[in-house]
Amino acid sequence: MNDTKGKNKRSFFEWFQDRWIAEPLFSTAIVLLLIIVLQTIVLGFDYDSIGSWFSSWLNNWINILRNNAGIGIISLGMTFVIISGGIDLAVGSTSVAIGAVIMMLIDNGPKGILANMGITGLPAFIIAIILGVGLGYGLGTGIGILITKGKIPPFIATLGAMKIFRSLTQHFMQGYNPTVPREFLQIANFKIGKFMLMPIIYWAVIAYILYYVSKRTVFGRQVIAVGSNEKAAKLSGVNVEKVKTGVYSLMGVLVAIATIIQVSRIGSMDFANAGSGYEMDAIAAAVVGGTSMSGGRGTILGTVFGMLIIAVMNNLLNLFGVPPFLREAFKGLIVVCAVLLQKKEKA
Amino acid sequence: MIVEMKNIIKSFGSNKVLKDVSLKLKGGEICALIGENGAGKSTLMNILGGVCKMDSGAIYLDGKKVDFDTPAQSLNAGIAFIHQELNLINDLPVYENMFLGRELKNKRGRLDLERMIYETEEVFKQMNVDLDPKIMVRDLDASYKQIVEICRAMMMNASIIIMDEPTTSLTEPEIKRVFSMMRMLKERGVGIIFISHKLNEVMEICERYIVLRDGCLVAEGNVSEVTTDDLARFMVGYDVRTERLSRDKNLGNEVLRLEKLTHETAYRDISLSVRAGEILGVTGLLGDGRSELFQSVFGAESILSGKIFLEREEIRINSTTQALDKGIGYLPRNRKENGIIKDMNILENASIVTWPLFAKRGVIDWIRHRKIFKKQVKELRIKMGKSTDSIDSLSGGNQQKVVLAKWLSANPKLLILDNPTQGVDVGAKEDIYDIILNLAKENIAVVVLSSEAQEVVRICDRALVMYHGVIQGEVSKETMNEHDIMRLATGGKLD
Repeated sequence: MNDTKGKNKRSFFEWFQDRWIAEPLFSTAIVLLLIIVLQTIVLGFDYDSIGSWFSSWLNNWINILRNNAGIGIISLGMTFVIISGGIDLAVGSTSVAIGAVIMMLIDNGPKGILANMGITGLPAFIIAIILGVGLGYGLGTGIGILITKGKIPPFIATLGAMKIFRSLTQHFMQGYNPTVPREFLQIANFKIGKFMLMPIIYWAVIAYILYYVSKRTVFGRQVIAVGSNEKAAKLSGVNVEKVKTGVYSLMGVLVAIATIIQVSRIGSMDFANAGSGYEMDAIAAAVVGGTSMSGGRGTILGTVFGMLIIAVMNNLLNLFGVPPFLREAFKGLIVVCAVLLQKKEKA
Repeated sequence: MIVEMKNIIKSFGSNKVLKDVSLKLKGGEICALIGENGAGKSTLMNILGGVCKMDSGAIYLDGKKVDFDTPAQSLNAGIAFIHQELNLINDLPVYENMFLGRELKNKRGRLDLERMIYETEEVFKQMNVDLDPKIMVRDLDASYKQIVEICRAMMMNASIIIMDEPTTSLTEPEIKRVFSMMRMLKERGVGIIFISHKLNEVMEICERYIVLRDGCLVAEGNVSEVTTDDLARFMVGYDVRTERLSRDKNLGNEVLRLEKLTHETAYRDISLSVRAGEILGVTGLLGDGRSELFQSVFGAESILSGKIFLEREEIRINSTTQALDKGIGYLPRNRKENGIIKDMNILENASIVTWPLFAKRGVIDWIRHRKIFKKQVKELRIKMGKSTDSIDSLSGGNQQKVVLAKWLSANPKLLILDNPTQGVDVGAKEDIYDIILNLAKENIAVVVLSSEAQEVVRICDRALVMYHGVIQGEVSKETMNEHDIMRLATGGKLD
């Protein structure tokens, strides 16, 4: 009796270990669950006052999700980039560049571009959003062409782009602080019932679309093929340059969407500092979610989990009152531990 | 020094690579080790060089039994192995390469550059090599890289040097330079084992030969007593092991014609044509340029000049995607690097080529792919578990069939198969031959690139033999034999 029980236990443990090593999605889901349980306890779960506990729990969660929606969307694009075997360091700078353009367009002060042309309100917003997304697409595609046609390593190409975009934005926006019309803030702050859920909805919808793209479309699967074995993909008739460029174009579009959410959530932008560190946060989320830096492996769901792990961890550190400067150290620790636990490529 | 290898047996898995091989080499002689690809030459030398361990057998140096677990041990015993892909670091100067792994240091633990340079100069002087030790290895031509490797071996007092196809990437004058160096070593009492595919060179430089075939030593003796024809015959063997495969031949119109196609380095002036329903073999030895030639046809390699005609129309192909659109398929050599994508499952690997062809608005039609693959599993006799299993779960032969399947569903007009039976077991090999014959019956023009002369004789209607980037000769079904192919492939001519 004892014997069989021991065997069962061992085999469950073995099963668990196998799944843990074989499936990054499994391990990240479990880690996420553990962190959420910890967070629940920290928030003072108590049976008697379950009502008030639940409302503070819910508010806390909505805050977490809303604050991380922008970077969450960028990390989804980063997942595609990393799976394809690349990296994009320029996302933060691309974001301020796009933010600056959008804000100049919709500015309702004396210098506002569209306002001076007599376009205000919803039409102005639509034009600004279309141009912003178009700019993101253009900048991303430019980086992609630099990488594929110019044969510059992605790290270098995007490092260059990062410096260029940031510097140009800062230079041209010196002493100019556009005011964002209050109506524009509705994009992110529109209330459903009592809650401001819009950023969360955008994130969820985009995550679902990208999940579908990665699983079902030719582009999504070709990204994996290119990242896993570029030569074999090329010899299978895959247009490797087009796929790689496409990944950076997609990244650009996602950065634009994240930027629109960010601008409308806060209503202003610090062109010197906004978006700095986005690239590392996005890479961290993808890696914690099981994306392999050498390409070929990674999932959209994993990155969502990865982003949540980092976000909830941050929230916990906040609740515990850990000093802000120390929090980054914990973030770094999570990333390193996540990769330590993941399946390693056999040498 | 005298090296003796006795009764060496070695297998990789169930594959017996060496079946009881013995050989002997004296100092001061150059001995050729020849054989077809896969005959066991490299494995035998890897055992002598301490790169891999034998299953049974013994090695004696001057009558004393030795055991090599690592290349370093073998080197210390005086055996230097110069690999085909040279072990030099391009970004370091010559003298640092000479002392790689055994750098000289001064008393304070810093690199003693002056002494390393001085000692390198001394060795070069001894060997009559005119070379500046401070030059970067990157700036050396291929023959001087060989020479630096040889000098390094000499500096370590090697008395036996193994050279694995040292001349494949060299030009004529460079080969002369390496040969004169080898003659000088011989005079100094160094024994050299010269692995080569080029029989003319064997005749020129070696005095003894050893021929391996299928892991057995089949012939040895003095080079002066044989001709290149004899050597070619030894390599292939008298007995044709299996019969030629025949089929009802029904040749259609011309599908592919090349006119004076020339590549930057790999091949030049290639003209040929293939008709629908025909199986054209293209064969040769390492470095003959056939892979590059047909990768150019497939858009994976650039061309310098010349014309490609597909169904009598001149085409320009700049990418593999275009080739696919035009109905050209290419099964690459080296399945692991070029064929399979290990992060994708069996079904994905079997369908990647046709994703864009069958997709509706960019969405992959998995139902259709699954249906096609199910049929292919039966037709190609693929042995596997679930179609969503990892591609790594299949044996080599079945992996190759999956890679083949991805091209078959694209219905190509022209299918190029580069080493289609590489690393495939005997049963799967016969299956793949059947598949190739069936393709020809379905009026596809098939080009089989192969390094196995026997394979070409068995399945091809006619074959072109390439040698150093040019077509050395053509043989056709009725008169085709392995002997002629080997003679052409080693640079000879047919009478």
